[in-house]
Amino acid sequence: METPRDDQLIADLKALRATPRPEFAAELDERAAAGFPRRSHWRWTPFERLRAVQPRKLLIPAGGLAVVAIAIATAIAVSSNSGSTSESSGLLGLTNQVGSAPQAQPATPLHFEAEAEEVAPGSETHASSAAGAAGSTGHAASPVQGFNSSFNARNRAVERNAELVLGADPADVADDSSEVFEAVHAHDGIVMRSSTREGGAGVAAARFELLIPSAKLSDELAALSAIDEVRSRHEATDDITAPTVRTGELLQDSKARIDSLLAQLEGAETESEREAVEEELTAERRHRARLRGQLAHLERRADYSRVLVRIETGASESSSGGAWSIDDALGDAGHILAVAAAVAVVALAILGPIAVVALLAWLTHRAWVRRERRRVLS
Amino acid sequence: MEQALVAEAQEAPRAGDLVFDRLYRSNRDDVYAYVASLLRDGPAAEEVTAAAFERAYRKRNRFDPERGDPRAWLFGIARNAALDELRRRGRQAELTAEPAALDSFTPSEGAERSERRLAVSAALARLAPGERELIALKFFAGLENREIARVLDISESNTGTKLHRAMTKLREACDGNA
Repeated sequence: METPRDDQLIADLKALRATPRPEFAAELDERAAAGFPRRSHWRWTPFERLRAVQPRKLLIPAGGLAVVAIAIATAIAVSSNSGSTSESSGLLGLTNQVGSAPQAQPATPLHFEAEAEEVAPGSETHASSAAGAAGSTGHAASPVQGFNSSFNARNRAVERNAELVLGADPADVADDSSEVFEAVHAHDGIVMRSSTREGGAGVAAARFELLIPSAKLSDELAALSAIDEVRSRHEATDDITAPTVRTGELLQDSKARIDSLLAQLEGAETESEREAVEEELTAERRHRARLRGQLAHLERRADYSRVLVRIETGASESSSGGAWSIDDALGDAGHILAVAAAVAVVALAILGPIAVVALLAWLTHRAWVRRERRRVLS
Repeated sequence: MEQALVAEAQEAPRAGDLVFDRLYRSNRDDVYAYVASLLRDGPAAEEVTAAAFERAYRKRNRFDPERGDPRAWLFGIARNAALDELRRRGRQAELTAEPAALDSFTPSEGAERSERRLAVSAALARLAPGERELIALKFFAGLENREIARVLDISESNTGTKLHRAMTKLREACDGNA
């Protein structure tokens, strides 16, 4: 056989060309006419299905979904903040929200000294001494004896603080103040300090610094809340278990040391030896007294909750005149925008790395597929 | 005729709406011939041809005319589909004529011609897979060098050079058979 010429070789090659079966061609024509409906037996991977979707068609629902998600997250964030942020100008930035459980989390304790109540000295009646709560004084028992009793059921020493702001008519301030005293007495509490001021709306006010037995704090707050309109209520807790336990242990060590020194004193044979032991004993007793005082203080903090009650008149601090003004609207809009921006930033912080990982995975997959395709023909 | 259809098909993507039906009708048999030459399996070739057209149809709006003409784009999709099928099978590509094509030789064609075509088929089987694919794209699918270059992602001059080498080797292989 002769070597084929070029044209002959090309003709032979073209003659080797496969042609589709007429049945297959007809079936494919039908499918083409129908817009190539998906065939169940055709092996589309999920990745291919995703790729087949036009980006524009994917972007619109994805964008809509993202906007809806941000809107929902913003609404949730705004609504959850509204209860506390409106009163965040309260005394000490307590973290527990109105109505939250006192044991929820440790927070900054409330210190009455930090409060600067603007009450005119000339027009106020001031009662800085303890009032009522006759039974409460007996609660400060011997520190060593009361060491274990100062813990709650879970052996935790928790200091609790609360702040309550009541809104009242100027004419009701005196009556409300009386009810505060009654409520304190009813729950064996102590009024540490109180002041009332008479006058018109915005001027008339009252302020009470209370010590309430921690076990009765919830009841006390409920009673105080029933006196008048509650404008804000904050509660905070501070776990003081660690210092209480540590002080108790130091106290026990001190007692053991004193016992040891007493034994040494009994066995002292010389005057100088006795004097040295007595000097050491005196110092240790002073140390023990100091520890007792510290422990008693800690126990008082755990046993008694500090409650600050303020009775205000006039408009609430959180609103300016009651009517919703343009400033309020702008403020709210700015707040919502800020929250939405924060939500978007958080979402980006979460989705960004995921997108980067997905992109890397896609690039890796693509490179691998290309390499495998090349390998098939190599 | 073919040029006219290609030209029409080329216009469509620019307008944002590929005239897919015309592209399909003008390339159906070519795509099948190319895929069949890659797979050497009639049913699989039909499956992959249908899959390639379906995939191209789904992607028709994503076609970028600046990156090549529709035929090259279509054959690129068909090539990927065929190579994916070969990958799934986990076997090497063998680019020889489909057995059915050899079966189609008739006595009327003459003994010499049949013998020559068998020799060409055998010579084709001895070529490297890449060279066989080049010949399949050129003579089974009927692509221009420019289109082949697009499908294989190489330059047009490189395509011509490789094709020339492949044909030279094929001729030499035919000599060997002879």
